Amino acid sequence: MDSFLEEEAAATAVPAKRRPAAQPGSALLPALHLPASSSEQHLNFRSSKEACLSYIQDAMLQKQWKRAAEFLTFYVEALEKDYSREHTGPSEMIWRIGTEILCHHSRSSMKEFNSFIEQMKTLGVKRYLKVCLEHAFRLLCNGLIDEAYQILSVAESWRFGEQTAIQDKEMRLIQAYKGLLDYYSWSKQKNILLENEQDGSEDLSVEQEMHSCFRKAAVSLKEIIKMPGVWDQFVKCYVDLLEFYGDHNEARQVLNEYAYNSKFPANPNAHVYLYQFLKRHGEPRKSLISALKILHDIVPSHELMIDFNAMLQKSKKRKKRRLGLEVIFAALDYAGWKENVKAWNCLARQVKQIVISGKHLDWIKEEWNSRKDWWPAFHFSHYLAKRNWQENESLSCEKALVAGILLGKDCKYFKYVSHQGCKARVKRFRILKKFVNKHNPVYLRISGLSDSSVQP
Amino acid sequence: MEFPPALFPSYFIAGPPREERGPAPAAGWGEHGQVLEAGPGRRQAERTFVPRRGGTGESWEPADAAAVPLLPPSASCWVPSLTPQDILYHGLLRRKVRAGRGGAVRALDFTKQLSHFFVDHPEDAFGSLGQLLHKNFYLGNSRLKKPARDNTIRMTALMEEIERLEARRGCPRRYLASRLRWFSHLCRDWLFEVPLGLLGDCVHEELLLQWASLLFDDSLTGGALAWLPPEDPGTHTGCLVYPGGQAMNHLYFQDVVLEELPCTHGSPTRFELNGHIRQVAAARVDGEDFVGVRSDYHCGVWRVPGRVGAAPTPLQVIRTSVPASCLTVSPHLPGELAVCTQSGAVYLWSIETGLQRLRHDPQTMFFRDHSPWRWSDFTAHPRVLSCADRTGLQCLDARAPERCHFDLFKVGEEAGCQQGERVVLPMYLGRAHPSQHLVTTQFSVYVLDERLPLVPMLKWVHMMKAPPLFAHLMPGGPGRSHKLVLGASRTQELLLLQYQGGSQSACQLVGSPQKLHSITSCLQHLPTQLPHRHRLLQQRLAAPAAGLAATLQEDRLQESLLVFQLSEAGDVFCQRLTHEVAQPPAVSSGDEVAPAPGSSPLFESPSSRPPGLGREEEEEEEEEQTFYLSNLEVIINEEEEEEEEEEEEEEVGTPATLEEAELPQEPCASPQPALALPSPAAALRYRRWLKGLSKGCGDRPRQSRPFTVSQKRLFTRKELEGPAGPSPLHGQARRQLRQAMREGVRIQRWDPPAPQPPALPQPPEPAAGLDPLSARLTATWSGEWGQWWEERTSFSRAQRQRALRERRRRQKRARGRCSLSASFTSSLTYQSELSELSDVPPPPLSPDRPPVLPREGSPPCSSPRPSSVLEDTLLSSQSLRGRGIPKERRKTLRDYLAVWAEDPPEPAEPPSSQASQPCIPSSQSQLSSASQPRRKRPRMGF
Repeated sequence: MDSFLEEEAAATAVPAKRRPAAQPGSALLPALHLPASSSEQHLNFRSSKEACLSYIQDAMLQKQWKRAAEFLTFYVEALEKDYSREHTGPSEMIWRIGTEILCHHSRSSMKEFNSFIEQMKTLGVKRYLKVCLEHAFRLLCNGLIDEAYQILSVAESWRFGEQTAIQDKEMRLIQAYKGLLDYYSWSKQKNILLENEQDGSEDLSVEQEMHSCFRKAAVSLKEIIKMPGVWDQFVKCYVDLLEFYGDHNEARQVLNEYAYNSKFPANPNAHVYLYQFLKRHGEPRKSLISALKILHDIVPSHELMIDFNAMLQKSKKRKKRRLGLEVIFAALDYAGWKENVKAWNCLARQVKQIVISGKHLDWIKEEWNSRKDWWPAFHFSHYLAKRNWQENESLSCEKALVAGILLGKDCKYFKYVSHQGCKARVKRFRILKKFVNKHNPVYLRISGLSDSSVQP
Repeated sequence: MEFPPALFPSYFIAGPPREERGPAPAAGWGEHGQVLEAGPGRRQAERTFVPRRGGTGESWEPADAAAVPLLPPSASCWVPSLTPQDILYHGLLRRKVRAGRGGAVRALDFTKQLSHFFVDHPEDAFGSLGQLLHKNFYLGNSRLKKPARDNTIRMTALMEEIERLEARRGCPRRYLASRLRWFSHLCRDWLFEVPLGLLGDCVHEELLLQWASLLFDDSLTGGALAWLPPEDPGTHTGCLVYPGGQAMNHLYFQDVVLEELPCTHGSPTRFELNGHIRQVAAARVDGEDFVGVRSDYHCGVWRVPGRVGAAPTPLQVIRTSVPASCLTVSPHLPGELAVCTQSGAVYLWSIETGLQRLRHDPQTMFFRDHSPWRWSDFTAHPRVLSCADRTGLQCLDARAPERCHFDLFKVGEEAGCQQGERVVLPMYLGRAHPSQHLVTTQFSVYVLDERLPLVPMLKWVHMMKAPPLFAHLMPGGPGRSHKLVLGASRTQELLLLQYQGGSQSACQLVGSPQKLHSITSCLQHLPTQLPHRHRLLQQRLAAPAAGLAATLQEDRLQESLLVFQLSEAGDVFCQRLTHEVAQPPAVSSGDEVAPAPGSSPLFESPSSRPPGLGREEEEEEEEEQTFYLSNLEVIINEEEEEEEEEEEEEEVGTPATLEEAELPQEPCASPQPALALPSPAAALRYRRWLKGLSKGCGDRPRQSRPFTVSQKRLFTRKELEGPAGPSPLHGQARRQLRQAMREGVRIQRWDPPAPQPPALPQPPEPAAGLDPLSARLTATWSGEWGQWWEERTSFSRAQRQRALRERRRRQKRARGRCSLSASFTSSLTYQSELSELSDVPPPPLSPDRPPVLPREGSPPCSSPRPSSVLEDTLLSSQSLRGRGIPKERRKTLRDYLAVWAEDPPEPAEPPSSQASQPCIPSSQSQLSSASQPRRKRPRMGF
């Protein structure tokens, strides 16, 4: 590997030297190399370059890193005559391929990687920020946080002419990641401080450093979360900072903006963060419900829907309880919830409640109407009854109750499970059977009496 | 259904894509994309980060050297699909295309197609008028008599004119002969059964359609291969569903036992359908498999019970008036499918309730695109379907399709797309995570989560040469990565990706992408074939892929991944990858270099050379690469081919060199470290498959096989045995070779230093009563036709011997001086004539071999052929003059003989027997080597 890198270094250094020298000494060059000599040679060079590249690709896709590295040393020659106007020139490819090889090569080390990347940074002005960012990522993934911070600060202070839109975006990301690292060192110092407080000792320098970290982090993080995007970790850190210093209004504003600004994507996490914030600060249930209502509208299958349902159940308003039923029905529509015992338990409890009370059967009816043509096959088939019984008894119990109420006591699911349950002499199944038999007329009311095609 | 607590950071900008870069060859490498804190490390202070791309994945190593045929080749013969050569104008292919790639001149050979039609279907083209005018056309050679001339025209002259035109094709200065012009002017309007303009329009339209489908055929999207895994993972018998038959209109359900090498079990269940099967889709609901089959105008659904050996039952068929472009099977509800047609309609098809149209919109969704292709798939909600066109994906609620829909993916800046990027294949990844979807474009792959639409959870530039039309997912259990195999059609590429996350953690692409074996890659492991067979085989193996299926198999702690690939020729190949749990920290297995003894000697694998030395190879390669990337044209570097011909004489005359260049991605041609040999079991499979192929398609190769006569039956064993022992000449040659090698010089001449000329095999003395013809035949038979010729031209035997001896002596003397005129009398005219001679590229082979005759009975490793010594005499000006041939005609004669000799040797000859060729003695070898240094094109960059 060492030799590979040396070659690499030598090869990359050569063109830089040779290019300026070519002009005075051009008489020394054989006529062949004059660019005017023929277009065909140029073409040949280009196509051999491409061939070389395809070998590299081939080797990399077969995980032959050593071979790819050997080819790359040839490919470096492509830098010499880089007249290409293409978007991805050879220098970018060398950076990408070289990075990939060094990530996987059995004998590469972080030191070599660093020196390679440093060379790559000099190869293209337009790509500088991107290379820096990737370099920092690599260091972060290897746990070298201080080094990454160093790289990010150097990159942050880099200026070159007018920035393109892409460079602007990259610069903001660099700042944001630097802010993130600042936040980490802030939280480290905070922990030290808290420990010290417990001990009773005080350290002013730590506190000062912590505050300076806070300022740096807050400034950079604030910048990026203004841009539309997915900034989960940055928002979380920023809110944490603000909360620590007691700026709840600002925090709430940030979270509201992140969740409700229409320029941002409909990120469920934004709503989750807002909900968690509201919950942390003991906000009234009403505002919690409204936060979750919006989440329900965006992602009816979110795991917080269980909490939402529970919250709505506790409410005294009929409308809310109605919404609760809707929420749990909607959640169970999704394939991912098919075997969620908690959700089935919620639904079973609610259905039972309604049936016992005898009121609001129309709620169930309404929910069931849009589902009766496919829920039986989706949830209550004979196959599922067998499998659920084998795999999860309590799930089958909850589902059997719902099936018995919604589809009547003759439904396959209920019949199979209650039969098996009685055979196994489990008490709850006997109770279940009794309950369903007792309330069988409910099924007729829900399914609208005349409709007999529901029977699966 | 948890949502990741934090996602990787990304910008979100609405609008059309801004970036324009086109296909970037290495854009998928070297990026982590973003990083995310992976939760606190072991200690609170320690933070760990995970990258979006480039995390460590599982290691899967190919178990065998190449893909192995799973099924015997289909008995019916495969009709090779259309190639660019068939419809492109040939004159342009070679030169023009080289210049540019994007703006390559693609001239469709319209006239050729039209003329094929006229020749193949004359009745349809000229039926009625042809019959009417039958009497008025005369095709004879003689002049027409007066009374007949009034109402009959002689067509012979016209035909000659047309032929001449054909001969001058490609000549810039060709003018239509006036007669032709006159004739066409006269007949154009009434001669044709179908008006020419209309016919031309139709042919042109069809040509354009064919061309478009040649460039990119989206009817195959989804793939026509499905694997139905066993119900109980303990049993190793699954079912493979694939199309077959000559028109790919038979549907097969074949039980396959997964072993070290999967093998078929029992005979397949076959259904004959009413069209070319384009897609086979399958999903398992409630322990039963539902298999949807799509052909252009029909879609059908079968049910396969979970038990092993249960027969599949057809359930329903629908007919569409517009070709269907998509058929997917619901993984949620039994007997539900989604169907799309090219008219822009999306249907939910339920076995019980029939078709429900969800949408009908001939326009594309987000911006205008001309493609009528539509796709639809299921989502986490059984009543919500995703529906796609080239511009993006939307999700529709089947209960209220007009009102309830949302955009899932848009080709735009939201997902960081490039300009010109188009959706190629969407797929629901429900088995990995209920709300994930895959979208492939010609540049990238995206993993989407329907809970956060428009923002891709993952994006990776896949760098495949053709757009991935097939994909197969193998979900990994908790803590494991999901495996995704992408497949392209035309290039047969297969790419294995791994990703993880989606619920507790954000989606990450892990491991490095891995290329799997394509069907063509097994070519180098097949037993060596005769060139024409090899070519056919190559053609067959390089047929575009038509489907992809894969399965995970656990077997005694060893986990393996089986990938099946179907080609348009109906071949199903499979390969196994094994999971290596403990990743060896040292060298990865691919790095070990081993020579490839299995590779065919015909196409010398460059792998045996170190990569640095393979420059020339690379040059040749690059040519292939060029045409390959431009995805239509063949560029044949003629110059190099000539060189090659000179260098490796074993390839002389085999058209395989040309053909090889036409094959896309010839893996054995890349200078890769060769893989290990195929296992004995695999080798056996190859042999069997090959046998089956030659048996099944026996008549085909025989037809295209050039006419040969077996030597075995021409000569008895005794006859051939004769000079088997090492003759003194042999020994001499050997000695000479050794000496030359020691001294490092080349052998100037093959003649033995003995004063005696090599013992001429004596011609059998002609029997007294032989007539001239039988004498000549006898002479020819024994390979001495040349001698016979000499004799006929009144050279007496003694004279000839003397002349020979004289020449040898002169040659010997000349070797010292090494002058050009050494072997001839030192006359200036001779010299000039000789240099003229030496311009004829390959040294003329023995003139005693008329091209149609099989090789004479001399042993393959023969001594310097006496006749070729004569040939010099024959060709020398002296002898020509001696025969009274005038000076100006001598050159013509010589050229003629040279051309004669240039004729390829019998193509059926196995290449190894050509080893004798370098031994051909020729006084010209010296000349040509001296006066004709090989012109090599200077190469830049190396």
